[in-house]
Amino acid sequence: MGVAGIVLLLASCYSNNCPLENTVLCNYSFYDAEGNAVNYGDTITVTTLMPGNKTEYVYRKLGNPVVIKYEKDAALVEQGYTETAREVRNDTILVNQLSKASSMKIPMSYFNKIDTLILSYKRITLKDTIKIEHSSYPHVEQPECGTYRFHTLENISATDAAIDHIEISNAQVNYEGNVNVKIYFNGSVED
Amino acid sequence: MGKSFSKHIITLLLFGMASSPLWSQEPQAIIQPQQAQQSRAEDHASAQNQPLMPGESPRPTKYIAVEEQKEHLVFFQGFTLSADLFGPIAYLVSDYGTAEAALRLNLKNTFFPIVEMGVGKCKKEDFNTKVTYDVKAPYARVGFDLNMLKNKFQSNRLYLGARYGISNFKYDISGPAQTDPIWGGSESFNQEGIKCTSHWAELVFGVEVKIMKNFHMGWSVRYKTEIASTKSDYSKPHCIPGYGYTTNSTCWGGTYNLIFDLNWGMKRSHKRGVRITSGNIPAQNTPTKENKDIEEDKQESHDEGATGTGNEGADAESANDSGTAE
Repeated sequence: MGVAGIVLLLASCYSNNCPLENTVLCNYSFYDAEGNAVNYGDTITVTTLMPGNKTEYVYRKLGNPVVIKYEKDAALVEQGYTETAREVRNDTILVNQLSKASSMKIPMSYFNKIDTLILSYKRITLKDTIKIEHSSYPHVEQPECGTYRFHTLENISATDAAIDHIEISNAQVNYEGNVNVKIYFNGSVED
Repeated sequence: MGKSFSKHIITLLLFGMASSPLWSQEPQAIIQPQQAQQSRAEDHASAQNQPLMPGESPRPTKYIAVEEQKEHLVFFQGFTLSADLFGPIAYLVSDYGTAEAALRLNLKNTFFPIVEMGVGKCKKEDFNTKVTYDVKAPYARVGFDLNMLKNKFQSNRLYLGARYGISNFKYDISGPAQTDPIWGGSESFNQEGIKCTSHWAELVFGVEVKIMKNFHMGWSVRYKTEIASTKSDYSKPHCIPGYGYTTNSTCWGGTYNLIFDLNWGMKRSHKRGVRITSGNIPAQNTPTKENKDIEEDKQESHDEGATGTGNEGADAESANDSGTAE
């Protein structure tokens, strides 16, 4: 009886320390070209390209409208059209109209080698594309917390519409909240 | 015998130390100074009341300081072998349990170096997440206990101690398939044989009570803190054999021990010094060998005194024969 009491007493002290966030997000922080942390003045919308689930065929001929078909058309080729096959990819919004922010958090794909992010701005018509190469692996902190997906950043690149340059700050993407990527925008903060 | 045994068990289980025989001092053949003084006074009074024989002069009174009998404990007091009951019972009512035995040295009934070895097993599936964790591996602890009781001669012990624990193990962890909520796709999650080495420290508070001749029972409560564990990308060990759950950086544990004294190579404790008093104090107390010797010496000196040798010298002689240092 005494032993059972001690067992119950010890069991009653059990608690879990599961992370508050149930999704692992990559943390991007904003800087000006000189490395000063800034609240970026423009409004940013981030979309990503989904993996293609079907192939479309594009037929082009000078002086004729472009023809898009989801199956090959040999007749058009005989008529002198050039055929180009491409993967159909939809996009989805990850961040919608983020304004005057100093950072943003964006999820990463579990099984794709490269994530493509498209940054649209309100004040400029050009868009930036960020390509992130990474590897992913499952992680369990405690059984009661469930499974998570951690990522390791391997390479990152960006176009230069509004971005001066980009760099990896901390390659380990987990739920510890570290800054993983630093985005340096064109221009600098005036004193 | 059976009644006594069950009484000890019930006392140990229900009240622990408060009313256990742990606190009862076993009778020691030690005369307290107050007792000796009272005894001397009684002897003196009885001697004064005895009528003198013809030609006998009053016996002079000389008191020799009472030296408390000291028992000397030899350094090595034997081995102790113990088995834990708490670990197997814990496994029956929870996901984690151990089977553990310990070998302990008894040095002067005070210092107890100890080695504990066992096997820990944990198999858990979370009801909500369906993640399972499975480990079964040996572990070892080394450390010491200190008997905190003032009287080191009694068989019961109250001790504080410390341990260093280590376990090198492999564990399996698996769960439902992971599905990407945005980009899509799914992958099963099953990691087997993840290697890990863990180190931890423990503070121990415990009690043990003599039940029978060489058989003791006792319990201990342990406060454990994890020092280091090998990290894996996939997970951290949910449960370490010999340590317990790693939900927090510290945890509590306990043991309930069956303890057997193995007196291999143990030398019996011997008495240092002999209880000597003036007059007839020893002769009136316990009939030990020393007291008998003293009584014989006294008788001889008394006979010699009757022939005119004198009692004072005889008393001193008897004291010297019995090895007393004044």
